[in-house]
Amino acid sequence: MTTAKPHLLALGAIVALGLLAALGVRSAVVLDLVFTLLLYAVLGQSWNWISGYAGNISFGHAIFFGCGAYASALCVTHGLSPWLAIPAGALAAAALALVTGFPTLGLRGHYFSIATIAVAALVEAFTRTAPWLGRANGFELPIASGWAALQFPQKGPYVVLALVLFAAAQLATIAMERSRLGYYLRALRANHAAAASVGIDERRVKLVAFAWSAVMAAAAGVLYAQYTLFIDPPSTIALGISIDIALIGVVGGIGTLWGPAAGALVYVVLAKAVALRLGGAGKGYDLVIYGAIICLIAALRPYGIVGTIVDALRRRRGAAIAVTASGAATAVLFAALPAGTARAAGAPIEAALAARASWKLTLAPGCALVPGARSGDFTVECAQR
Amino acid sequence: MSAEPLLAVRGLTKRFGSLRALDGVDFDVAEGSLTGLIGPNGAGKSTAFACIAGAEKPTAGSVRFGGREIAGTPYHRVAELGIARTYQIVQTFADMTVLEATTTGALLRRPRLRDAVAHAEDVLAFVGLADKRYRLGRALTIADKKRLEVARALATEPTLLLLDEVMAGLTPAECAGAVELLRRILASGVTVLMVEHVMEVLMPIAQHVVVIAAGKTIFSGTATDAVRDARVVEAYLGSPLEHGEIAGHAE
Repeated sequence: MTTAKPHLLALGAIVALGLLAALGVRSAVVLDLVFTLLLYAVLGQSWNWISGYAGNISFGHAIFFGCGAYASALCVTHGLSPWLAIPAGALAAAALALVTGFPTLGLRGHYFSIATIAVAALVEAFTRTAPWLGRANGFELPIASGWAALQFPQKGPYVVLALVLFAAAQLATIAMERSRLGYYLRALRANHAAAASVGIDERRVKLVAFAWSAVMAAAAGVLYAQYTLFIDPPSTIALGISIDIALIGVVGGIGTLWGPAAGALVYVVLAKAVALRLGGAGKGYDLVIYGAIICLIAALRPYGIVGTIVDALRRRRGAAIAVTASGAATAVLFAALPAGTARAAGAPIEAALAARASWKLTLAPGCALVPGARSGDFTVECAQR
Repeated sequence: MSAEPLLAVRGLTKRFGSLRALDGVDFDVAEGSLTGLIGPNGAGKSTAFACIAGAEKPTAGSVRFGGREIAGTPYHRVAELGIARTYQIVQTFADMTVLEATTTGALLRRPRLRDAVAHAEDVLAFVGLADKRYRLGRALTIADKKRLEVARALATEPTLLLLDEVMAGLTPAECAGAVELLRRILASGVTVLMVEHVMEVLMPIAQHVVVIAAGKTIFSGTATDAVRDARVVEAYLGSPLEHGEIAGHAE
């Protein structure tokens, strides 16, 4: 368990930076990018709870986003406060998650993913035909202004609200990682049979995570509806939105605190900023570039951007040091030591190793430490007794 | 009046399709004892384990634990009731550190993370993994992985610990270390039921031995009596040849 302090500091810095942007930046284009970035970061984190930490890949996450967006539209068009849409949308999303998760969360492999696509398709078909949900036309929200109506003529307040939502999602995730829920989700993802053997109720734990995940997405949906003032099935619950959300989670790094934010950054910078310059003529270069990045990550760094960084840090700390003994004659050590140290002999190596990690290495008489092919690889060679 | 054994297995049967993996297994495990469950390959030892731990639902029969019927209880509930197990093929939480994996076990009875971590530290000191607590589970040697399995199981504070071939694949020195750990687990008041293939390991430490073969209990008693028992010898080595049988085949 690592300390939460650096994460809290980073979050504080991002919120401060965001507030500066919300208050100081005039460009509507930039503020729109910041807002979209934060919104996608929240959606990515929402997806990350069930698909990253719990390991059940959802391809239907947009329906929970839709719960919030439609709750907002329904509240406003029925003369109710849009603030009411936050608890209403959250409740609807949580209920939908519990009802659909109960029979599907125990499914292994790709079957859960397939089930989420099926459920999302059903929800979309239902929305497109239900008169009270605006059918395929969706809703246009009547124009209003002020905090009571949750609508603003400028984009600044929306960025502030998105920052609040983002901070809440990150704080909730920091707390979750350091709670029983976080440990249990990681255990279930790693090995469900071993998890059950220590008393973990897979269905219950995953339902809790799924419900919170849905609530997060619904909150983002409310904010989105209040921002665009127009929602319809393609902009909220369509499969394409679900896939965008999943890709953000995958690109950033599944099951990591900052993965969704990193993924959202890549997505917004590429898919949106590049689209502004290149995609305008309908050539879709942005999609080609984004697609290529996803292919590269899938092939080279399946743990995503943040997963790769975490791995590198862990290596540096020496926590991932592996000692494999073969017949007590040879031991191979993987440690992040500079190559120069390796060529020194005897005592300096022991001192260097002891200083860098929580373990000690004592070389038996007749043994030597030999640097391996890669920097940081060592082989301990001992004379056969 | 006689005290009920901690675990009483009666007529335990498990069928996989037409295969009878267990065909009416009976045995008792006395509180505070170390009971060995042995038998030739394919006898049904691991299946019996799985049925007791709740990983498999028995087709028929009764498993009473602490005076309570637990046959067919969901896996995670059995752990809550106080039975913990290790796996024959180690099942680590690969991307967790040794401390995190053990903490996951400790969280069963200590929902607050701080308490669970403190308890996990104690358990790791007890099993001798304290100095490796920040290593990743997947980076351990086989002997240490098995030790970690025991730590994770012990962290749930079980009444009964089921050990499935914890000695398999260990060097003689590592085996001696494991036996020493077993003695300390028993001394701490935990009852142990262990499946073991290596008879020599079990002999000096098990008070009681249950032998199963072809899904049935064929012997129950002390370890020294087990090796003298004709049915046990037959199960392991086969029946004595009839006079002239080989010659008959050769013709």
